Amino acid sequence: MTANNMADPRRPSKIFRYKPPNTETNPTLEDPTPDYMNLLGMVFSMCGLMLKLKWCAWIAVYCSFISFANSRSSEDTKQMMSSFMLSISAVVMSYLQNPQPMSPPW
Amino acid sequence: MRHLVFLLPALLLLLALPDTRGRYNDDFDDGEDIAEFDDNDFAEFEDVSEDPAVDVEKEPPPRAAPSSTPIEDDEDEATVENEDGQDEFEDADAQDQDMYSKYDNEEFEGYEKTNPSFKNTLIYREVPAHLQNSWESYYMEILMVTGLLAYIMNYIIGKNKNSRLAQAWFNSHRELLESNFALVGDDGTSKEATSTGKLNQENEHIYNLWCSGRVCCEGMLIQLKFLKRQDLLNVLARMMRPACDQVQVKVTLNDEDMDTFVFAVGSRKAMARLQKEMQDLSEFCGDKPKSGAKYGVPESLSILSEMGEVTDGVMDNKMVHYLTSHAEKIESIHFSDQFSGPKVMQEEGQPLKLPETKKTLLFTFNVPGMGNTSPKDMDSLLPLMNMVIYSIDKVRKLRLNREGKQKADRNRARVEENFLKQTHTQRQEAAQTRREEKKRAEKERIMNEEDPDRQRRLEEAAQRREQKKLEKKQMKMKQIKVKAM
Repeated sequence: MTANNMADPRRPSKIFRYKPPNTETNPTLEDPTPDYMNLLGMVFSMCGLMLKLKWCAWIAVYCSFISFANSRSSEDTKQMMSSFMLSISAVVMSYLQNPQPMSPPW
Repeated sequence: MRHLVFLLPALLLLLALPDTRGRYNDDFDDGEDIAEFDDNDFAEFEDVSEDPAVDVEKEPPPRAAPSSTPIEDDEDEATVENEDGQDEFEDADAQDQDMYSKYDNEEFEGYEKTNPSFKNTLIYREVPAHLQNSWESYYMEILMVTGLLAYIMNYIIGKNKNSRLAQAWFNSHRELLESNFALVGDDGTSKEATSTGKLNQENEHIYNLWCSGRVCCEGMLIQLKFLKRQDLLNVLARMMRPACDQVQVKVTLNDEDMDTFVFAVGSRKAMARLQKEMQDLSEFCGDKPKSGAKYGVPESLSILSEMGEVTDGVMDNKMVHYLTSHAEKIESIHFSDQFSGPKVMQEEGQPLKLPETKKTLLFTFNVPGMGNTSPKDMDSLLPLMNMVIYSIDKVRKLRLNREGKQKADRNRARVEENFLKQTHTQRQEAAQTRREEKKRAEKERIMNEEDPDRQRRLEEAAQRREQKKLEKKQMKMKQIKVKAM
């Protein structure tokens, strides 16, 4: 019995449950990229809609994609979808109002 | 315009008949009446067009030359009369004049043509791009969509690669973990503590595994921190600055499992960074990192320790062997009984309680391959996991001697005192501000009180309170003085 205990380090009686680390007390552990990209995407899509700038709308689409790629699995998908839809609507509205193709800045 | 009236009858006879014969005979089978009617209807304009057309033909060339011959009625008449006879031959030509020739010359009196040959230079206006009906004009949009598609492709490929690497790691380490821990894999949500036997996916690039149920430790959290292969921007950034996947192991210990010491070993860069960042390393290991060569470990590794005895205790033969053979994979190894994470930036005026500490062993390993890892590389991390298990058992057995223990206790007391001193001034300031706020609020209340009687009463109450406080302070001072004596 003791030999078995000595050889086998497992102790089922000493099991502790997993507690996810509290990120509120340690903000350095969190990656801020998805939140920043989400915000940036929304700002660009509003710019694109209000100022009728096509390139703003396209950048908004990219931002929402980047935010989605970097997001945590625990995050709300509704937020992601809403920013994505907003950016798509910005692109569509810019083209409906002005079907001309985008001119490069150079 | 008056000349038209004179010219019309003459020209009608000469031009109309041959014209109608040429143009309308084929089209109309009705009698000549209609043709004649049409002729008469349009003949007016025909004559006008042919007449000045011929004149315009002749006139621009002379006008091109810097001649001062003005456009005069006499000339018109003259040219017309001259050409009366030639009209028959020039009918065909006259018909081919462009629309500019239909205008009367007199309209252009005084108008100096700057471009006499303007009818030769037809300007082709650019058709706006969106009316062109060609996809080529939308090349920027096509570029954007292509970029998006590339991003999506990269996302799928990167996600799959990370997932395969994680699975490969788990497959190679599963046996070792299951033989050492009663609980392998837990997400904390299920009611009963049963092994899930799989990794928790936190992100597309971070995987967690919680193991528990072993002697000498509370639990072990393994984090597979892969590169963000699913994000194209990150992939491009990594082309500039290469980075590697990391495996982080954090073992939390019970109080009886570890003696009081702080120790760290790792690559020189990592040690320099940790000494600045980590709360416990900065407080307890004040000296510069020492080179590992002194202890038989490669030069690339350096050591941070609370005292020499700890280093000697930790760096036994087996440990040295592990470190030497896997030096390139070791980023940092950190043993601490005062672990509280990285230094938290304090906001001004906020007194902190002493941060909570936990006895912890932290290991950070670099996956070989520098980003271009394949699932096979995960097997090379297995010896490192053996080292982790060995370290857990070793730390349990490592006990400082009496001197070492005393030194360690003194260090901890010193750190606590420093902390209290720092926060003491902050706490005092906070208390002072609070007291001042209270006084101000009271005074305001008194001032705002309209009823003079109540005002007086409140003032008196405030005065009495102040007096009491003063008396208390005086009593304290007296007591202190007596004690001092």
